[in-house]
Amino acid sequence: MSAIPTYTEQELVSLLKNRDNKAFGYLYDHYSGALYSIILQILNDSELANDVLQDVFINIWRKIESYDSTKGRLFTWMLNIARNASIDTLRSKTYQNDRKNQPMDNQGEDVLVALVTQVNVDNIGFRKVLKELKEDQRQLIDLAYFKGYTHEEIADMENLPLGTVKTRIRAALTQLRGFLK
Amino acid sequence: MNIKDYISSGIVQSYVLDQADPAERAEFERLCAQYPELIAERKAFEDALEKFALQHAVVPPRQVKDGFLEAIQNPSINQSKVITMEQHSNTPVRKNSGLRFMAAASVVLLIACGWFAYRFYDQSNELRAANKDLQTRLDSSEGTLNKIIDEQNLIKDKNVTVVNMVGSKATPESSANVFWDSASSAVYIMVKNMPRLPSSEQYQLWALIDGQPKSLGVFDSLQNNVILKMENTKKADAFAITIEQKGGTKSPTLEKMQSSGRTKAPL
Repeated sequence: MSAIPTYTEQELVSLLKNRDNKAFGYLYDHYSGALYSIILQILNDSELANDVLQDVFINIWRKIESYDSTKGRLFTWMLNIARNASIDTLRSKTYQNDRKNQPMDNQGEDVLVALVTQVNVDNIGFRKVLKELKEDQRQLIDLAYFKGYTHEEIADMENLPLGTVKTRIRAALTQLRGFLK
Repeated sequence: MNIKDYISSGIVQSYVLDQADPAERAEFERLCAQYPELIAERKAFEDALEKFALQHAVVPPRQVKDGFLEAIQNPSINQSKVITMEQHSNTPVRKNSGLRFMAAASVVLLIACGWFAYRFYDQSNELRAANKDLQTRLDSSEGTLNKIIDEQNLIKDKNVTVVNMVGSKATPESSANVFWDSASSAVYIMVKNMPRLPSSEQYQLWALIDGQPKSLGVFDSLQNNVILKMENTKKADAFAITIEQKGGTKSPTLEKMQSSGRTKAPL
């Protein structure tokens, strides 16, 4: 019995679907850092990111039955779960912050917590790659991928035709492929 | 369809990074079944993405793994997981009823919380209104008290002469007191009962000095029991009140004399 098991993706998925806890331990050890990175890039708050990462893995454990390998790789599926969970949290966080602008709340404390847990994410992962893009493309990718706005919402916000938004995002994503290689 | 053009449109990256809309996703999946090179392109991008993400991994704190492992080993922590595990349970009915009880209890709790939150909000609004009302009343009481204290001080002051203004024959019910401080020359009037005037008219107070009238200013009939500061006079043999046009006049209209009083008892 080897201390660090290795599986093919097919084996791993099959074990995961059988709720094999050891396989989930492996999944966590192998992928938690990659998912944590994307969560941090979206939330920019390590304390919130810890909670989201734990929820993401619990969700993976719960939803593994619905993973369909014909539609994409396991990592792609997990990445999208992590991204969606982060964006949901980001929205409820922004919502809460808006609510906290009421006079009776102790804003000072919140600002302090934010300072302590805030991390510099400009230089990690995809964010770093984004720097290679042109400013207008970077802005659109930030809104679409990291803030989770739909292309229609972005067209409204940026006062651009929907077609232009889609074309620019596509162009940026095509370039992204080159940067990742 | 030219599949090469389709691939180079960025659809693969859009699809993988969840940036494609439902129609685009459906089309992509349909075309994947048709063109193996499209699947190859998707897998290549997914591999690159995964490799890149693993290279840029950030190690999370240990407690997250502990929390995750604990959660999947003790599925009761998470209610939805209990549902999944029920199939393997020997006592599904009991677990289910427990779960239902918990669900019902949490709904009751939620409603109770909502009700309390609403009550507190309501109460706090009521208290705020009551507080404001009390503050207004306190301000008004303080104002009245200060006026009474001023009156008292005036009456007690030994330099102050109190002149009782007696109504004339035309208006016997008119009455007022004039307080004249001979040391500071200050003159105050306290209206006791003066008939209400039309808004175009006001009462005017006069000092009579060696038979000559001197205006000490005008006042309204409404200010019952309020001490009004009038203009100063060093000398006064008597005071008189007349009804004049609003704003007052230079010389009194004697036929409209309302009341008068001497500063000294007639010898």
